[in-house]
Amino acid sequence: MRWCGLLLLLLAGCAAPDQRPEIVVQRFFGECGVIHGGSTDVAAADTECGILTTLFNRFEAENPDIRLKVNVVAWPGYPQLAAQIAAGDPPDLVTMHQSVISDYQDRGLLEPMDGVLVEAGVDAATFTPAARAGVVKYGRVYAMPWDTIGRLFHINTRLMAQAGLMRDGKPVLPRSPDELLAQARQFKAATGKPYLVQAHVNAPDFHVALLYTYLLAQGDTIFPDARHVRLDTPAARQVVALFRQLHAEGLTTRNQDFPAATARFVQGGGGIFPVGTWMIGPYDAEAARPGSALYRSYAIAPFPRLWGQDAAFVDGHAWVMPRAARSRSERAAIARFLGFLARYNADWSRTGQLPAFQPVLETDSFRALPHRGDIVAIASTGTQLPEHVRRQSAIQGLIGEELEAAVTGIKPIDRALADAERRVNRLYAELP
Amino acid sequence: MKSGGAPRRLEGLAFVAPFLLLYGVVLIWPLLMGIGISFHRADLFGAREWIGLGNYATALADPVVHQAIGNTLLLALLIVPPLTALALLLALALNRATRGAAVFRGIFFSSSVLSVTIVTLIWRFILTPDAGLLAVAADALGREPLPFLSDQALVIPAIAITTIWWSLGFPIMLFLAGLQQVPADVYEAAALDRAGRWTTFRHITLPAIRRTLLLVVMLQTVGQLQLFGQAQLLTGGGPGGGSRTIVLAIFEVAFGRWELGYATALAEILFAMILVVTLLQYWLVTRREDAG
Amino acid sequence: MSATSPRAGLSGPVLALLLVGAAVMLTPMVWTLLLSVKSNAALLGDSGAALSPPYTLDNYRAILADRLTSRWLLNSLIVSLGTTAGVLVLSSLAGFAFARLEFPFRRSLFLFVLLGLAIPEQAVILPRHQLFATLGLHNSYPGLILPGLTGSFGVFFMTQYFRAIPRDLDEAALLDGASRLRLFWSVLLPLTIPAQATLGVFTFLASWNDYWWPLISATTSDYYTLTVGLASAQMNYAQTSGLGFLMAQAVFASVPILIVYIVFQKQIVRAMAGTAVR
Repeated sequence: MRWCGLLLLLLAGCAAPDQRPEIVVQRFFGECGVIHGGSTDVAAADTECGILTTLFNRFEAENPDIRLKVNVVAWPGYPQLAAQIAAGDPPDLVTMHQSVISDYQDRGLLEPMDGVLVEAGVDAATFTPAARAGVVKYGRVYAMPWDTIGRLFHINTRLMAQAGLMRDGKPVLPRSPDELLAQARQFKAATGKPYLVQAHVNAPDFHVALLYTYLLAQGDTIFPDARHVRLDTPAARQVVALFRQLHAEGLTTRNQDFPAATARFVQGGGGIFPVGTWMIGPYDAEAARPGSALYRSYAIAPFPRLWGQDAAFVDGHAWVMPRAARSRSERAAIARFLGFLARYNADWSRTGQLPAFQPVLETDSFRALPHRGDIVAIASTGTQLPEHVRRQSAIQGLIGEELEAAVTGIKPIDRALADAERRVNRLYAELP
Repeated sequence: MKSGGAPRRLEGLAFVAPFLLLYGVVLIWPLLMGIGISFHRADLFGAREWIGLGNYATALADPVVHQAIGNTLLLALLIVPPLTALALLLALALNRATRGAAVFRGIFFSSSVLSVTIVTLIWRFILTPDAGLLAVAADALGREPLPFLSDQALVIPAIAITTIWWSLGFPIMLFLAGLQQVPADVYEAAALDRAGRWTTFRHITLPAIRRTLLLVVMLQTVGQLQLFGQAQLLTGGGPGGGSRTIVLAIFEVAFGRWELGYATALAEILFAMILVVTLLQYWLVTRREDAG
Repeated sequence: MSATSPRAGLSGPVLALLLVGAAVMLTPMVWTLLLSVKSNAALLGDSGAALSPPYTLDNYRAILADRLTSRWLLNSLIVSLGTTAGVLVLSSLAGFAFARLEFPFRRSLFLFVLLGLAIPEQAVILPRHQLFATLGLHNSYPGLILPGLTGSFGVFFMTQYFRAIPRDLDEAALLDGASRLRLFWSVLLPLTIPAQATLGVFTFLASWNDYWWPLISATTSDYYTLTVGLASAQMNYAQTSGLGFLMAQAVFASVPILIVYIVFQKQIVRAMAGTAVR
């Protein structure tokens, strides 16, 4: 690219240079130009990819004075982003999970965005509590939040009814660990199927989300400071012991990876699938399709309170601005783009993710979307990891690996938790 | 070949120079840079702090690394010998100019055209215990399906079988190319001597393709010691690290933890391992040649 | 086994074993093909649906309609063909010299090249990324092709092959006053066609399916290769939906390799039938 630039300088005038400011936006969520082509009809689009594609098309149509270059990267895009930053050529705006922001912020690789958001007319005071916790680090805003991703119970109500676990059209959920076991056994006896559908293979995030949630519920501090994790605690042992018990009794699916678990739930192979908000859309479609095992028998609920308080461990997507030299006109273009995106956050929430802006959460049209009333509380009560937690995805991998081993019985619970704690602390000791 | 003055002698260098130049700049120079980085606590973005052999000491004391080395060696051992033997047998059977043989050659090559993403996606379907093809077979026999991807004792063989299926095509091609170099009249002589198949194979074919055999074994060893995609995509290195290979560990350390110094140190350790193993293989095969 | 003449057919038991083996190889391929002609929705809950109609070509249509797919296909062809041509030329030149010519440090240089066989990609990929950033080579064809030209395998393989060609051929040529270049080009090179074909298929395949280097070097979608581009087009990280589309991509991406294989394989067979090295 540099050579090309040099060549252009030497051969000045060989092509009419485009004077418009260019912004490079890099995102995951896939490529679906085939379905949506040049469409600018955001309201008619569905799926994460479709909504973003039409949004970007619309921005280009409405802002001919800005050159928008879109780079779609394979999920989650972080190896590419790291490579681009290392090569000194980062994009202007990038999709990033809120739990990942601390990694880049701590290393000084992100621009604080307070200023550009003001310029965009986006008021940080309108972020939902969960979204604000995800993007504000040490008093500064490092991203424009886009949504909140939570974990839920996706429920097959037909099987729950068969097990006698429906009351007034609502699933009956447990209020204690003992009740959970009792209901799970009752479910298995009545339907012959496992109560929980879970992934135990190649899916570390599954167990980590459950563990974090129920540690938060019990008021445990998981990350006391930037260099330590606390997992070898009585509270953690209780949580893991419960899930080990479920596994040992065959009250949950075994030996499945995430795709297998997903398919199992769609086939009506189990009662409850504790997975993320992102599956609401696809499962809703199944629930509307005659002949499906989920036809008219799909409900969702937050993780039930088994210990202590209601709690939800959440994450979310956000738009960050990698640090780079940018001209005033480029910054203005970025601001305009962010302001534009923020106005369409309601459309994004049709995907199943919770909106990042409080006003959207309160609109009737959002409340009218299926199931959203059941989970809206997550946007305010959802807890993000503390701002000092770095390398969340690596840590999740380590903890998840040990939890999988404990739940499936490869390792004793005490040892798995102690190993997880030791491995994470050693990772932190190596960080600058 | 022993004649020729200085220009003649330098002519040879001109033939190898283009390759050597690229080789030096694009491979050896980055290798040396990497060795340099491995003595530092370094991240992906240029931070460097000299810690001498610190990363190597950490690696040697890291149980995760020990497990990964063990897994990697076991995988190579379970893949290379059966793969080589199978490929050789198939090459011997298909070393003929008939149309049928050509069709078979195409079939045994076909899996190689797939990328690792698709190979693992397909084998997931075969191996997964509740809906996979093997589960259906086990069901038909009235047995519990084996949890290939979640049992620490089964996961390495499962990955080995997947890899053998995927990698068969190229060794067959190498053996076929090697067999082309065996002069046909030698076989005719053997046939006149009424030598048995085994005798012909043992005393004519095998010595003639010994170099190809060495090449296949060395290439496969080098390749399988770097096994990565199958483990990452099928199991993520699980269960309990039971299928984490060295390269998967390097990937996690580099891109998940940004510890470039530690990652390069692990890569140098892998380099040393590969070097020792291949040199050993090379020496075992060629020493007889040099002696005779 | 090979003791039979190359024109003879396969004997009964061998044929039976080959058929079993072929079934093991082909079943998953057929499965892939069937999945690729099913609608994604039908496969969401049950991939067994692939065994029965209705079938559709929608997945292939979706791939072809994407404005970027043809660009990625072109990139992949340029990179893979460029790499293959480069490797064949460089390896043949070097292999000929190492096998046939005397020059200073020949033996040590050869060992130095052999060393490359043992270098794992992970030991060089990140430093090389830095180096290429300094040289401004990222997001360019040279940046994608150059790393593929440094493989030692080609040189080693061609050296072995040239060595196996009887020496009397060159002695005769050199007595006729032919230059080294002529000896290489007109006498020996034609004899190495089966080796070139093998090396060509291998190089093309490795280049075509390479993922990590293009992923971190080609970071703007204009320079994506097909593997990287198709991966970026994936909407869902866990491959729970769009199974049919994914399989159609696999079939689509395999076609060029199959063509290359068939073309090169013909060379090998032709060599086998007549002009094999003696």
